[in-house]
Amino acid sequence: MPALLKIENLHVAVKGTEILKGIDLELNEGETLALLGPNGHGKSTLLGTIMGNPIYEVTEGNIAFKGQDVLAMKVDERSKAGLFLAMQYPAEIPGVNSSDFLKAAMNARRSKPLTLFEFYSKLQAAYKAVGIPFEMNNRNLNEGFSGGEKKRSEILQMLLLEPDLAMLDEIDSGLDVDAMQIVASAIKEEQAKGRSFLVVSHYARLYSMINPTRAAVIINGRVAVDGGPELIKRIDAEGYEWIKRELGIEIAKEESAMNEVSIGVCATRVAAKEGK
Amino acid sequence: MKTLVYRDQGWDGHLEISEPTKLNLAFFKTFPSLDLSIKVHSGVSLVAALGDFSTGEGKLSVKVDLEEGASLEWHLAAVASSNDKKIFDISAFHLARESKAVVSNYGIAKNGGRLTFAGVSKIERGAKGSDTRQEAKIIVFDSGSDGKCSPILKIDENDVNASHGASVGRLNDDHLYYLLSRGLPEEEARRLITMGYLKPVLAYFDDETLKGQLEQAIEEGL
Repeated sequence: MPALLKIENLHVAVKGTEILKGIDLELNEGETLALLGPNGHGKSTLLGTIMGNPIYEVTEGNIAFKGQDVLAMKVDERSKAGLFLAMQYPAEIPGVNSSDFLKAAMNARRSKPLTLFEFYSKLQAAYKAVGIPFEMNNRNLNEGFSGGEKKRSEILQMLLLEPDLAMLDEIDSGLDVDAMQIVASAIKEEQAKGRSFLVVSHYARLYSMINPTRAAVIINGRVAVDGGPELIKRIDAEGYEWIKRELGIEIAKEESAMNEVSIGVCATRVAAKEGK
Repeated sequence: MKTLVYRDQGWDGHLEISEPTKLNLAFFKTFPSLDLSIKVHSGVSLVAALGDFSTGEGKLSVKVDLEEGASLEWHLAAVASSNDKKIFDISAFHLARESKAVVSNYGIAKNGGRLTFAGVSKIERGAKGSDTRQEAKIIVFDSGSDGKCSPILKIDENDVNASHGASVGRLNDDHLYYLLSRGLPEEEARRLITMGYLKPVLAYFDDETLKGQLEQAIEEGL
């Protein structure tokens, strides 16, 4: 059976700086792949590139999902093809009502729109599954949500959109133990349905709850090591130093984090910074 | 609470607000160049909302004087399209202690429209404990259109709160990407985000018929 996701020699630049330098990675249906690696080495860039975030420029290579050329697809087409990315920092969208948005997102992938009853039944079940009050569907999308609520809301969307491959970017950061349990059990239910996951986390705790089938370590924009779940334990215990020792890979230091400034903060400050 | 409704017109001269009041303004026809002034009496609150979907050019100026303990909430949603040139000059003057004002202006400029949000929030000497906030946002849809925000704070007293935020720009790329990544077609995503700028003003209108007309104007305006 061909791989669900196949990435070949993927090179990606952000504002002219190459972050991914030839990623090769495959993921089969039903697998949960843990993506590890030091900060700033390309894990989030890889997930964002697969989803189609316009800040990432693919300079070389291919991504195929279910045999389709992902790089030729628009962002919304990727979503409709069955890809989903739970973002590390979900955008707060002023004035956009959560439930209007969820309905539009669910209907976008259907030939016939959901009836109001179907929609609310699904919505209620999903809110219950992630443990956030149903009344929150009246709030603006992510606006004023706490860190934990945002993460749960990402999982809620995953449950409603039923992707074949869900990519989770540090879904556990900012979650307390109870919330992590809830998120993990939602993931496990989806795993039981045969859905696939690509998971980025820094903590062995989440991984121990969702039992990844494989692990890959991204260092310097490449997959340095690829193996079974035992890799997660080793990295949790020993860090990344052994990779340098055993494989002779020099681990580049994290470059200063890019601080993406977007419209909506203080125009004058942004303009001053960019010298406009 | 009393509601004053003005449709495609202003009031004559000066408006005195001496009991808690809602002010609903809606412009659908020709952009009215008006010079309006309001005084909010001591301890009284005024919640004002303006939906502007008119066409034309000119300057609409509103000056609000706030007495001790008076409060103003101002909400504007405006669309400038097809060579409209609209200037909104919305000012709040804190004349005495403990007065509060939030001036919030939202708009879109498209198809060659020009939109300017100006205005001063001034805390006068003696108006201790006053609180003033100005926010202005304009989304500029295309290269022929233009938006300007120039919020000004003038503070002549200590022990006050004052803040402002202004932004002019294209539709936020992060917002757009987020919605697209959940499968919304681009056109629908843009529409939802833009509606998100204009729709909140509706919450301040009482009259259902007028609300319906404004909603329709928002939908058509996009």
